[in-house]
Amino acid sequence: MPDSEPIIRASGLTKRFRRAVRPPGLRGALKHLVRPRYETLTAVDAIDLTIHPGESVAYVGPNGAGKSTTIKLLTGILVPSEGEVSVRGIAPWQHRIDNAFNMGVVFGQRTQLWWDIPVVESFRLLGDIYQLDAATYIRTFDDLVEVLDLQPLLAVPARQLSLGQRMRCDLAASLIHSPPILYLDEPSIGLDVSVKARFREFIRAMHRERGLTVMLTSHDLGDIEELCERMVMIDKGHIVYDGALTEITNRFGWERTLALTLSDPTPDADTIATGALDGRSGVRVTQPTDTTLTITYDGRIVTSGELIRDLAISVPMTDVDIQEPSAESIIRHLYEGTLRFDDAPGSDA
Amino acid sequence: MSELAIAPPKHPSALKRYVSIARMALQQTLAYRGTTLATVLILFLWIAILFSFWNSAYAGREEIAGYTHRDMRTYILLAYAINALVGWRVARGMMGRIRTGEIVIDMVRPLNYRTTQLAIAAGGGVIEGCISFGIAIGLGLLFFDIRPPDSPLAAGLFIFSVLLGFVTKVLVVFLISLLTFWTLQGVGIMWAQGSVIAILSGTLVPLALLPGWIRVVAEVLPLRGIVATPVSIYIGTADGLALAGLLALQLAWLAALWWVTDRAWLRAFRAVEIQGG
Ligand SMILES: Nc1ncnc2c1ncn2[C@@H]1O[C@H](COP(=O)(O)OP(=O)(O)OP(=O)(O)O)[C@@H](O)[C@H]1O
Ligand SMILES: [Mg+2]
Repeated sequence: MPDSEPIIRASGLTKRFRRAVRPPGLRGALKHLVRPRYETLTAVDAIDLTIHPGESVAYVGPNGAGKSTTIKLLTGILVPSEGEVSVRGIAPWQHRIDNAFNMGVVFGQRTQLWWDIPVVESFRLLGDIYQLDAATYIRTFDDLVEVLDLQPLLAVPARQLSLGQRMRCDLAASLIHSPPILYLDEPSIGLDVSVKARFREFIRAMHRERGLTVMLTSHDLGDIEELCERMVMIDKGHIVYDGALTEITNRFGWERTLALTLSDPTPDADTIATGALDGRSGVRVTQPTDTTLTITYDGRIVTSGELIRDLAISVPMTDVDIQEPSAESIIRHLYEGTLRFDDAPGSDA
Repeated sequence: MSELAIAPPKHPSALKRYVSIARMALQQTLAYRGTTLATVLILFLWIAILFSFWNSAYAGREEIAGYTHRDMRTYILLAYAINALVGWRVARGMMGRIRTGEIVIDMVRPLNYRTTQLAIAAGGGVIEGCISFGIAIGLGLLFFDIRPPDSPLAAGLFIFSVLLGFVTKVLVVFLISLLTFWTLQGVGIMWAQGSVIAILSGTLVPLALLPGWIRVVAEVLPLRGIVATPVSIYIGTADGLALAGLLALQLAWLAALWWVTDRAWLRAFRAVEIQGG
């Protein structure tokens, strides 16, 4: 796969926003009128990204990390502040219209269907907008209607659709011109489990069978695990990981967890344990219930044996479970903002 | 993969897309025909007020600024009918899409944004036009004894000029709506633009009745092309060379606005951000 020409390439891609700093209240508003103050926020900070045709990439990161901003840069609706970006060889923001033919995009929280008219009319209009000839249009349309089971929805105006129904229609709308690239920005937000499963299956089929290049941002671990082989993690505008989803444990895998089951309910076991482990760096204690205790630690600094020895004296435990980090827990930490990217002192990582 | 790609045609028959968009907007407006009807009816409330005002102004007089009473009634009725085109729904729509960030949906499509907005306004304009001219002509013929066009040629040029004025108004409103990118507040701008257009287009009173310098400003600005120019062609206040001059001014402004809106759109697009993630 990586020997083909990249379909998406970004280097040093940066987007800064200027934001008005407005003190609260009427006085603040007046003050702002007299002397406006602005601050600059770097939403996407010099990212390098290369995606090859047919790849499926999960783009993950906590709220405000810069995911949507990156998608907007790739779709050509934002102009970069600095750096290079090219999609199929063209700069999206300079050739927004040409670029639009090459991509489909779904923004989970917005619909691209016309609100008050039947869904089928929206599709037809899109067919005209993308200048599909009748035969091509009908072929793709029938295909999408079948796999996404849209037949019962076609006569309904978009505003009367449920969220899941709307998402199916939106997905079809983004693919009606058979683009080589599909961007999905939080596509499964608010969908129920069965709709989600169908949605993933569809994307997977498009990806596997037709070589669709997929870039997906999602907060849903299932989406990421099931749809993407490659994961790009972004935090505060920086890319902090780019590699196979399964390899992520090697990069961040030093964070381990010790789950203790206590013999008696001990409400203050976390305080006791914290005391017992005093002085050990990189150790965090939480107590989910009265009879369980969770200890996270850096496997490069301290071993589970050492921790158990320290704790055995003061905490009455009946069972110990040592949890190797899963890709899932690492991503969860990323979203919670507790994933650490630093290398521990004296580590060989 | 590349066999999936649909190569963009070199010279896309762009018109068809925009015609389809206009058709869609027409359907959308039909869904809101109640609102459109109400808006137009409220505009005609002004007509009632103006009619009674002019009734007393014309008491014992033949002409005011070259208009007979019958001319004036005709003027008012037509002016309001024309100014009902590109109503506040269009302005609010344009501003709202920018303010809420809905505009991303328009921008991920292979469409010129300005032309898209024009097509949307045109689709809505068909409905607005049917309603407002329907009422104006109905009222005018039944109750107010309005005059016919000055000549068949004047009738034809009137329609042509109304169309030019329509596009002018859309472009002006579009230009103003771009301010939303910076202020993110549409309501104030929307009301202000409504009043300014009503005065400078000659909807409120014929331009000849505007005081001093406002009149001079109104006579050179493109806004007169929205209402004053077509109506004076209909009534025959402008004919011959004057008429040709007015149409030329209308066309020149249209060309200028077409260019300016494209530039302004690019500037707005590059300088500012799309809201919401
Ligand atoms: N139009 C804008 N003006 C100013 N700042 C913006 C604008 N759009 C985004 N930002 C800021 O840029 C940063 C990145 O935003 P972005 O929407 O890309 O985040 P995200 O990774 O998509 O987050 P989420 O997971 O919440 O969707 C945020 O701090 C946000 O406040
Ligand atoms: Mg986002």
